[in-house]
Amino acid sequence: MVRLAAITRVELVRLLRDRSNLFFVLVLPLLLVVLIGAQFGGSFDARIGVVGPDGDAAVDAVVADLDARDGIATVAYTDRELLLDEVERNLLSAGLVLPDDVSDTLAASEPVEVAFIAQPDAGSQSLRSVVEAALAEHAAIAGAVAAAASESQVPPEELGATAADLREGLPRVEVATVAVGGDELAQEFAGLGQFDLGASTQLVLFTFLTALTGSAALIQTRKLGVATRMASTPTSIASILGGQAAGRIAVALFQAGYIVVTTLLLFQVNWGAPTATAAVVLLFSIAAGAAGMLIGSIANNDAQAGGLGVGLGIGLAALGGSMVPIEFYPEGMRVIAAVTPHYWANQAMAEIIRRDGTIVDVLPQLGMLALFCVVLLALASWRLYRALIR
Amino acid sequence: MQADRSAERIGDGRGSDPSAAILICDGLRRAFGAIQAVDGIGFTISPGETYGLLGPNGAGKTTTISMIAGLLRPDDGEITVVGRRMTPNSTRAKAEVGLVPQDLAIYPDLSARENLVFFARLYGLDAARRRERCDEVLRVIGLAERADDRADTFSGGMKRRLNIGIGLLHEPRLLILDEPTVGVDPQSRNAILESVEHLATEGMAVLYTTHYMEEAERLCDRIAIVDEGRIVAEGTRPELVATIGSLDVVRLEVAGDTVRAKAALEAHDEVTSVDTDGTAIVCLLPGAARALPQLLAAVAATEATVTAVEVRVPDLEDVFLHHTGKALRD
Repeated sequence: MVRLAAITRVELVRLLRDRSNLFFVLVLPLLLVVLIGAQFGGSFDARIGVVGPDGDAAVDAVVADLDARDGIATVAYTDRELLLDEVERNLLSAGLVLPDDVSDTLAASEPVEVAFIAQPDAGSQSLRSVVEAALAEHAAIAGAVAAAASESQVPPEELGATAADLREGLPRVEVATVAVGGDELAQEFAGLGQFDLGASTQLVLFTFLTALTGSAALIQTRKLGVATRMASTPTSIASILGGQAAGRIAVALFQAGYIVVTTLLLFQVNWGAPTATAAVVLLFSIAAGAAGMLIGSIANNDAQAGGLGVGLGIGLAALGGSMVPIEFYPEGMRVIAAVTPHYWANQAMAEIIRRDGTIVDVLPQLGMLALFCVVLLALASWRLYRALIR
Repeated sequence: MQADRSAERIGDGRGSDPSAAILICDGLRRAFGAIQAVDGIGFTISPGETYGLLGPNGAGKTTTISMIAGLLRPDDGEITVVGRRMTPNSTRAKAEVGLVPQDLAIYPDLSARENLVFFARLYGLDAARRRERCDEVLRVIGLAERADDRADTFSGGMKRRLNIGIGLLHEPRLLILDEPTVGVDPQSRNAILESVEHLATEGMAVLYTTHYMEEAERLCDRIAIVDEGRIVAEGTRPELVATIGSLDVVRLEVAGDTVRAKAALEAHDEVTSVDTDGTAIVCLLPGAARALPQLLAAVAATEATVTAVEVRVPDLEDVFLHHTGKALRD
């Protein structure tokens, strides 16, 4: 075990000592998690730009109402053209333009024309409904205050304050949106944190990619004659093979563990049930490490290993659903994707993270990953043994 | 002219007593496809003895030591190290052997000390012994001052010394050095040769492969001349030179068609071996002084011109030429 641990340790030390690895192992995965979170993430507040008369009571009330709603934040604008431009450029989710005489018009119980500016997509329509509801509520209160004031001697300001108090005490109707029918994709990803999807898919991509590209270190060990020299020491061939395998697996586990810990700390990513996630990460890392060892035992030089590693690492990740979620694939492609360990790891992580799956729920995926481990380890060990002892 | 292809064993040097031998190789054979790389090699090495395998590149030296180090299975034959049979799985036999491969088998991105500590772990040294031996080896190979520098910052000679130091970590009974001075500057080369001489005085058995005649002559108590996978002659230097008998070496510097001149000399009855070395033709023959006019006439008949003549006593290179019909550098 001492010898096996020595080989494993030296492989890990060499990976971390290579500065060129630091960007790809430590920085790039987090950058991609952030990028994917920015593209697909669902927990950003919808930003609604509001143009309206400064200090107007009706405008203040509508803005306060919108800000109080989950997932919405308002931003004050003074320039209608600027608001329009930023909605067009997707810097704002929507824009709302209230006329300068909005309070007076409401007090006169006359219709008010407001402009809602948004892109023609489903999200904008949802926002429009929320904005309309807020405006309708305040129009109704303003109309009621105006009517009451005309029928009584009570000043409108006092009636307005009373209406506001009454409104606070009244039960409110909360509307929850549930997608049904053809919008299965929306349901699949509903409830995910902004970085949850990116973190799990990038974990799968980078764990495998790092293990494959790290195979260049094994090529160096072979080409330099260090592996052969190891075989000339009183170290059993099994320990050498085990040490090389453990070295590659340690590299993969380091990559996976780094992504889990940093995304948990930096982005509060939900990794689901710890035991289930740990089991998936462990088996996938073993499969990745074994694949790295296989490449390291068949490639002739660093360049070949690097090319194969990057090509296979990215290709298999794309096929296995680490770049575009597997749910977007047509049925035929899903069948092909199942030949990759990435597919089973991504499916397991989806079960754990999106559907609160436990280790029991992902047993089929774990079984397939274990099969990949056995096959890849056997092949890699056989190839490396042949390279060491002829 | 026919080279003597049968192995010639001379005297009974120190390695001839198998009971005292550190290494016994018997009838080793190994083929790679159709190529018979090693074809019946056998020899023994005693404690404190330096044994040389001298032969050109491709003669089978590295294949032989790969089998002795347990890296390659022989197709036939047996290897015993300190009484233990050597196979790729025999870790006890391997514990008695220190291998210094021809390639620099070190991690360039680790320091000298890290490389030594790593291999000391593989040799099974405990922590205290590891520290002690690493410090000692660093001192012996002259790298104590650079112990914590990465190996890729070292000169070629320093890397070679580190390569040798790894083989010494566990104080093996048998040290195998496979062409340890290839690509080394003269100063480092001399330091390496002095180290090997010192190790032998401490009782270590050394198996030294080289294609440099001077190294074999300087270091080795006994030398095996290897060609095409066989030992064609074995013995001490004087014994090997004596196998040529009373042959002299004649070296003719030739201007003109050396191919025709060489053919003319090969046709001469008394010449036993002929080889070319650039513009020179080297012949082995008895009674060179007497035959020299005939040799010069034979060359002149080919319209080539002899520009210089040297007649000398034979060395190992000439022994090799005599036994194989070709030069050591071929």
